Amino acid sequence: MEHILTANNLTKTFKSGERSLTVLDSVSFEIEPGATVSIVGPSGSGKTTLLGLCAGLDVPSEGIISLVDIKLNALSEDDRAFVRNQYVGFIFQNFQLLSTLTALENVVLPLELRGEKNLVPRGKELLERVGLIDRMDHFPSQLSGGEQQRVAIARAFMSNPKILFADEPTGNLDEETADIVTKLLFDINKEEGTTLILVTHNMELAQHTQRILQLKGGKLVSDERTHQNLAVESNTSQLA
Amino acid sequence: MEYIIKIKKPKKNLFTDKWVWNMAWKDARNNFSRLFLFISSIIIGIAALVAITSFNNNLQDDIDRQAKELLGADYVIHANSVLEKSFHDRFDTLGVEKASTMSMASMAYFMTSTSGTRLVRVVAMEGQFPFYGELETTPSNAFEKMNSDTPFAMVDSNLATQFDVSTGDSLKIGNVTFKYAGEVRKIPGGGGIQSTFVPSVYIPMTMLDSTGLVQYGSRINNDVFIKTTTDKAAVMLSERLKSEVKKYGHTFETVKSRKENLGKTFANLYRFFNLLAFVALILGCIGVASSVHIYVKEKRATVAVLRCIGASGWQVFNVFLIQTVVLGFIGSLLGATLGLILQYAIPLILGEFIPIDISVAISWQALGQGILVGIVIAVLFSILPLVNVRFVPPLVVLRSIIESSRKITKTTIFTGLLIVIFPLAFAAYLTGSMITGLIFFVGLLVAFACLALFAQLLIFLVKRFFPKSWSFVWRQSLSNLFRPNNQTTVLVVVIGLGAFLVATLSIVQDSLLNQVEFVGGENQSNTILFDIQQHQLEGVTKLVEDNGFPINQTVPIVTTRLKTLKGKTIAEIQKDTTDQIPNWSLTREYRVTYRDTLHHSEELTSGKMQKEVKQQGDTVFVTISEGLKESLELEIGDEVVFDVQGIPITTFIGGVRKVDWPNDPPNFIFVFPKGVLEPAPKIFVITTRTTNAATAGVFQRELVTAFPNVSAIDLKLILETLNTFFEKVAFAIRFMALFSIVTGLVVLSGAVVNSKYLRMKENVLLRTIGALKKQINAMTLIEYGYLGFFAGLTGIGLSVMSGWALATFFFELEFSLNYVSLLSLWGIVIFLTMIVGWWNTRDVVNSSPLEVLRREVL
Repeated sequence: MEHILTANNLTKTFKSGERSLTVLDSVSFEIEPGATVSIVGPSGSGKTTLLGLCAGLDVPSEGIISLVDIKLNALSEDDRAFVRNQYVGFIFQNFQLLSTLTALENVVLPLELRGEKNLVPRGKELLERVGLIDRMDHFPSQLSGGEQQRVAIARAFMSNPKILFADEPTGNLDEETADIVTKLLFDINKEEGTTLILVTHNMELAQHTQRILQLKGGKLVSDERTHQNLAVESNTSQLA
Repeated sequence: MEYIIKIKKPKKNLFTDKWVWNMAWKDARNNFSRLFLFISSIIIGIAALVAITSFNNNLQDDIDRQAKELLGADYVIHANSVLEKSFHDRFDTLGVEKASTMSMASMAYFMTSTSGTRLVRVVAMEGQFPFYGELETTPSNAFEKMNSDTPFAMVDSNLATQFDVSTGDSLKIGNVTFKYAGEVRKIPGGGGIQSTFVPSVYIPMTMLDSTGLVQYGSRINNDVFIKTTTDKAAVMLSERLKSEVKKYGHTFETVKSRKENLGKTFANLYRFFNLLAFVALILGCIGVASSVHIYVKEKRATVAVLRCIGASGWQVFNVFLIQTVVLGFIGSLLGATLGLILQYAIPLILGEFIPIDISVAISWQALGQGILVGIVIAVLFSILPLVNVRFVPPLVVLRSIIESSRKITKTTIFTGLLIVIFPLAFAAYLTGSMITGLIFFVGLLVAFACLALFAQLLIFLVKRFFPKSWSFVWRQSLSNLFRPNNQTTVLVVVIGLGAFLVATLSIVQDSLLNQVEFVGGENQSNTILFDIQQHQLEGVTKLVEDNGFPINQTVPIVTTRLKTLKGKTIAEIQKDTTDQIPNWSLTREYRVTYRDTLHHSEELTSGKMQKEVKQQGDTVFVTISEGLKESLELEIGDEVVFDVQGIPITTFIGGVRKVDWPNDPPNFIFVFPKGVLEPAPKIFVITTRTTNAATAGVFQRELVTAFPNVSAIDLKLILETLNTFFEKVAFAIRFMALFSIVTGLVVLSGAVVNSKYLRMKENVLLRTIGALKKQINAMTLIEYGYLGFFAGLTGIGLSVMSGWALATFFFELEFSLNYVSLLSLWGIVIFLTMIVGWWNTRDVVNSSPLEVLRREVL
């Protein structure tokens, strides 16, 4: 598998009566396994739409999107759900934990859905990693925003996803908490070697990734390597 | 590049996918309050169904079991005169056991510590009645004592209580003073509501003549009870005596016919109860659908997250389906248990009106049926709202405003069909008749449709004639009725249906009560003295006047029978099978009067009233009441020959009168002109108006002493008894209707909660931009006030139509509206709607905007 994610001429048009609005216009890119990529752009530039298409939450009006060589737009909604469960992890701006489940239950949920057993040790391990082992029986309403996002990070990594999508993961947090969450996200991601696609309008956060895709008016206007990428490349060359 | 375009995934169904069961439990365990409305709807709907079905089943069993005990014999002949001697003697040749009673109305004078007089039914008993069932008395040997040499009498328990009768006391019936033998607690065929109106005094048949109650014109009922060796023998006997019984105009009953008659008597009760159960259940169904709809709405974010992390549409659907089925089962169990408990209350409330011992037993059939129906409802009415979860796009996790794509699937079509079939099939099952079931179903549909149509009309009118000049609060609340996501239709239907049911019951009750308000008039008679023999007329008149009471009417009464109708003898008409004239109307005794004017309670609707026959040999024209004209199939000009004490009198129908029977009695079916019946033996009725209970009591005592055979009907007492009776009936009806009303309130709360979620953001926004609590409260109250106002108006408006139809066609009463009670009901509906609306949204108003937003987001 050369690329874990391929977007080829992705276009998304919404129709409202006779009017149509193109929010994403012929966007193409490829992402290698293990890469960390940011999608940035101003409000309304199509960032979240692109994330939705890449993660198989939606289908493009035109173009092809493939994830781990699976053509997502050829699949039904239930098949795409199956792909997400097998290969994808998510972190959202508003955490999206299930309010009726405890922290630990939220974490193990994706693997429970697969029908796997003995998940508690791995769940606890991840909660320990995010510093919330003593809060594992708490419900989301009993946790602060930062704690909820840490539980969401643990849940995202629980199923060892091939690719992780994060939508403004620090958007609802104060600066201090945001720094803690960012560090945690990138540290675990590094440990697990997961591909990370991060949607943000925060350029400082985007600088943590190796590559930045910039959108404007639904078009991909730039695709830049960051100093993180250079660091990775230099590390690789030194090892070689 | 080549892509994978097909995915292989493990196939799991509801039963093999452990995750859905696990998730269903985890999601529901801390979330039960969210399904409170759902479970409440099922509990109340099923409780109503089980209580009513169980009661109906038990009543049916009781009728089957007690029919023989109720009849007291295998075969009974009822005659409304003394049975012909030749006919009576026939029983002696049949070699059967026989007992008989003769009953008539008379005054009884109780010589007790609370001495007084009262109109009673005197029952003279002969033989060992009853053959089946028990005659329960206190003391237990009262019956034996009554049949001893000394004149003893037994009295009904309520009479014993009323006059505080105890051992050693006496009572005077006609010319005889009886000693008190004991009270009758239970007697086959007796008790129930009959004893409330006219309680009985029991005396031995041997004493009847001495009382002097049997005189010319006395109204006597003679019942002969026969015990046969087998049930078959009873049927054979009834076949054998059928033609003779018919010939004399008597009627007979066997155990089988008593069962059938009781079944017919209770048919309306069953129908009414089944209607209530049906309405409660349908409201329960609406409650289920509406609460699941709300639940699904609340769960949208959860569904999106589950879809996002890989749950399939069916998996998510199954999670919530399991919750509703399990809760439906729990709700059904609780509802069925509550229903079984409630059925203990029904006999306490209705027992007085039902002349049989109502047993309360667990009806396993009702229980099983209730649980099954509960689960069916839970599943059937949850599926439509639940199907939507399959189409919640996972993209909602990123953008909550994304709408679900509404798809019509095979599941929705199939479920929709079942939802239409279910109420129809269930109504048919409940009533045991496809046609009645269809009537229930169509009736409900019409009520729903009228209410829904009115709601749509209301929305249109409010929009069209919106009062732009009103203040913000009033405009904002009014515009909530038509803005997107409004709940106007649902609320108008639910509230309107409740108001409709209660108002219909109220109108019928008012129409019934209106019939007995005739004694309210200042100058109208309130006491009727009857069975006055000709020689007693002067004395009774004097007694009335001496007591200071006016003589309002002195009415002569002549007893007659029909001899021929339109040239055909009664026997010929009876034989003619094509004739539809009921036998009772041909063979009964007619009490007629003669006068030259119309009474104020009647009007001539056609023909003429002949005032007087001046010469013998002139044609006699009588007038007839409208009802009997129909029964006897008579028209103006038809010939009717009366048998007046053996003398035939030929008359012709000259006019038809519309008679307001309860108004200032006595009223008559046939009225003769003057100059025909004067020489015939007759009795008199005097009507008067007593001033108060004390003077009436003194007068009645003097009357009983001086004229033992003359009876007095105290209309005031009857009115009071009727009022009490109707109050009890109304209470019983309202108690039973409570099932429907409570379910309606649950549904109303559901609808309000639903609208709460829709209004929440808007209220929070208004609070944020500075609206005062007072203003939000006022808007909420006014909005629900409008809804209560319009829903109440529609429901009560519809009830006027249904009340009119019920009063006119079912109860055959003059339709009457009590505006005060309807307006009060309207006020209560508005108030209740406002309170329920305010109660369910008060937390939105009382919390800070941020608090509400946080809580609802979580």
